[in-house]
Amino acid sequence: MTKARVYITGTGLITPVARGVLETKTSIMNGIRGIGPVTLFPVPRDRSLPVGEIHESFEADGSPRTHQLALIAAEEAMDDSKDPPDAIVIGGTTGGMALTETYLKKGDTNRELFKYHSTGSVAEYLALKLKCKGPVITVSTACSSGTAAIKIALEMLREGKAKNVLVGGADSLCRLTYYGFNALQLIDPAGARPLDINRRGMTVSEGAGMLFLEGKETAPDNAMAEILGAGLSCDAYHPSSPDPEGTGALAAMRAAIKDGCISTSEIDYVNLHGTGTIDNDLSEARALYTLFAEDKPLLSSVKGAFGHSLAAAGAIEAVISAMAISGNFVPGNVGCNTPDPELRLNPVIEPIERDIQTVLSNSFGFGGNNAAVVIGKPVEEKAPIASHTPFPLTVVGCACITGAGKTRITEKKVSEGRSCKGILPDREVSKDLSPKTVRRLKRLSRLVLSLAISAHKDSGVSDDPNSLFFGTGWGPLSETYDFLTKLYESEEHFTSPTDFVGSVHNAPAGVTAIQFRSTGPNITTTGGDYSFEQSLMAANLLTKGRDDLILIVGADESHEMLSSLFDDSVSGDQTLSDGGGALCLRRAANSSGLRIYPSFFEYSKDNPSIISSLIDDLGGPDRIKNKYGALLAGIPGSHRERGRDQLSQFLEGSGFEGPVIDYRRLTGEFASASAVATVLAVCFAREGKIPEALCGSKSSSLNGKGILIIGLGKFVTAVEVIT
Amino acid sequence: MANLIDELRVKIIDTLNLEDIVPDDMGEDDQLVGGELGLDSIDVLELVMMIEKDYSVRIDNKELGAKVFANLRALAEYIQEKSPGLSN
Repeated sequence: MTKARVYITGTGLITPVARGVLETKTSIMNGIRGIGPVTLFPVPRDRSLPVGEIHESFEADGSPRTHQLALIAAEEAMDDSKDPPDAIVIGGTTGGMALTETYLKKGDTNRELFKYHSTGSVAEYLALKLKCKGPVITVSTACSSGTAAIKIALEMLREGKAKNVLVGGADSLCRLTYYGFNALQLIDPAGARPLDINRRGMTVSEGAGMLFLEGKETAPDNAMAEILGAGLSCDAYHPSSPDPEGTGALAAMRAAIKDGCISTSEIDYVNLHGTGTIDNDLSEARALYTLFAEDKPLLSSVKGAFGHSLAAAGAIEAVISAMAISGNFVPGNVGCNTPDPELRLNPVIEPIERDIQTVLSNSFGFGGNNAAVVIGKPVEEKAPIASHTPFPLTVVGCACITGAGKTRITEKKVSEGRSCKGILPDREVSKDLSPKTVRRLKRLSRLVLSLAISAHKDSGVSDDPNSLFFGTGWGPLSETYDFLTKLYESEEHFTSPTDFVGSVHNAPAGVTAIQFRSTGPNITTTGGDYSFEQSLMAANLLTKGRDDLILIVGADESHEMLSSLFDDSVSGDQTLSDGGGALCLRRAANSSGLRIYPSFFEYSKDNPSIISSLIDDLGGPDRIKNKYGALLAGIPGSHRERGRDQLSQFLEGSGFEGPVIDYRRLTGEFASASAVATVLAVCFAREGKIPEALCGSKSSSLNGKGILIIGLGKFVTAVEVIT
Repeated sequence: MANLIDELRVKIIDTLNLEDIVPDDMGEDDQLVGGELGLDSIDVLELVMMIEKDYSVRIDNKELGAKVFANLRALAEYIQEKSPGLSN
């Protein structure tokens, strides 16, 4: 078996400097700077700072700006493709925040207005518009999201999980990021001047970059460039500041170079993360010095021209890197007049024409999340890369939290067929966490940290997890709400930098990485009720090493106001609930432990054969009957009718006759309830039986069989827990 | 000045949720950042917001912040000097 090579055959861009790939090249060659005053929302005179704003009018279909930007870039990238993409992977941090914060400011609480709030709704919007059946994954690792998304897409294609993938990143300007970065004093009042001796910070901007990737054995005629490799790492150092020595940045670059099977000396150009903040540029420069010493390739940051579009940046810069290869040029480092001698870098100041074969592009973000990608000129004859099937993911520990309590109490109540709905008080959640560790953490981060520590303790192993995967439907709601409330109460003058840092979706995973010193991949996924399943898929794609301990957490917090405003399943239930589940996994050759497989993920819109695809993918009716002793079905309250239909179709089509547990009746309604269900499945499988109270008249013994956990509704997912 | 220092002790504990610290734990000349209190750059920025809001004193760059947040005494002196609401 050989792995597919991954080629870029379509690209799309919309940024403050231009709309369209060709137009962007013209802007780059002319040194255009897309930075100016903010006009999207009013700001107090003494809080006015430059931004990278796109001055275009968009189609008014009620969707937020991020969604529109994403669609414009996606349609350009898909221009030559007749068929929908097999999969969509999008990096995002703001989602519909630009609209949400406007409605919250006005005190508007019509739930319909918030239907595009979630970060994951951007990818879903693209799936709807482009008729993609899925998988659909949203990566939210702050400013490295776009590049991390490319790594996931790359692995999907290499492994043959898809023939082509639309991948990219999109973020729009909004008050949250504008005032948030300002509160951190990370904005340069003169506009970003990356690498300049007088630089004082970044410029927040907006945009979208999309790439259509195809997995092939040889380069197709229309290949613009090849994604050779990508690497991920985590600083595990600080929630918002980079490791000053650039250790994590260096690890991501080295991982990308190794993954691309190239040598450092083959890199002709480095597209820097280069935000323009004093610390970021210094940390990246130190990492580059360690990697290249005095023999550095050409390098530049485009963020002096484009600003920093957060999750979009990595994808936009991957497109620019591919353009540099196919168009033989290097972009100039706009904004840098006198390179800072302390950086020991010699950036390309003005754009130059040059034959470029291989580019390294860097993206680093909050939570110490680092990602790097290596892109090369497509070459017809290349040695195939051997493919090895990794050992299965084996469960070594687990933990959950529900309204009833932590794992043992939840398991007991569920075993008695009693509801675990509700909210476990904060003091109970944080009981085993030190006050120093949690003083800055609000509910979601506390939930995640507590779950992670408990799952690790349950595993009984002495090594710390190397990689972390976290799925959350809504991210840190408390910090988001508190940040905006403080901002609005002070008429846009004051807010909390701590809340801003804590509000990013990957903040809980960043905090957990620091706790365990986990310096490997650190991925946060978000996609409503299917976020935990996305994190399992990401873990399955990104972890190959036999010895690495892997931690996967799914969690959501309930918020008195926002949960019911955003999540129709929550608003439809009388009891507000939250919690989550965590698994410690290791890849192991022997089959003595429980194995876990994320097996299916499709979008149900315009997908009438979705249940028969699920049955086929699981190996058909006979395998389903022989392999699983019970079925845990996740039917979100807002999709009850559709979910029940799908479940009936599944039971009829597969002939499955074992116990079926409608677990949201027990856990309550929250996006990551499936993480609790997965942990319960592990507990039941360890016992070898399903609690009788949950079986009705059916047999409770599993007879050595596993458990199938399916998610229903808007998406249909399957996770297998096999003995 | 002593009153201002006492007031700042309480405000710092409250703003930064320092549950395990009492005001008397914070000496006037103790190192504020990176010392035993365990404060870092985000905490400093949180205090910057509090000081601007409560005393109308702006500390808007890192270099100034490093000087002003050296210890409680330096912070109080800076606020005393710059705050329009506090007389010398």
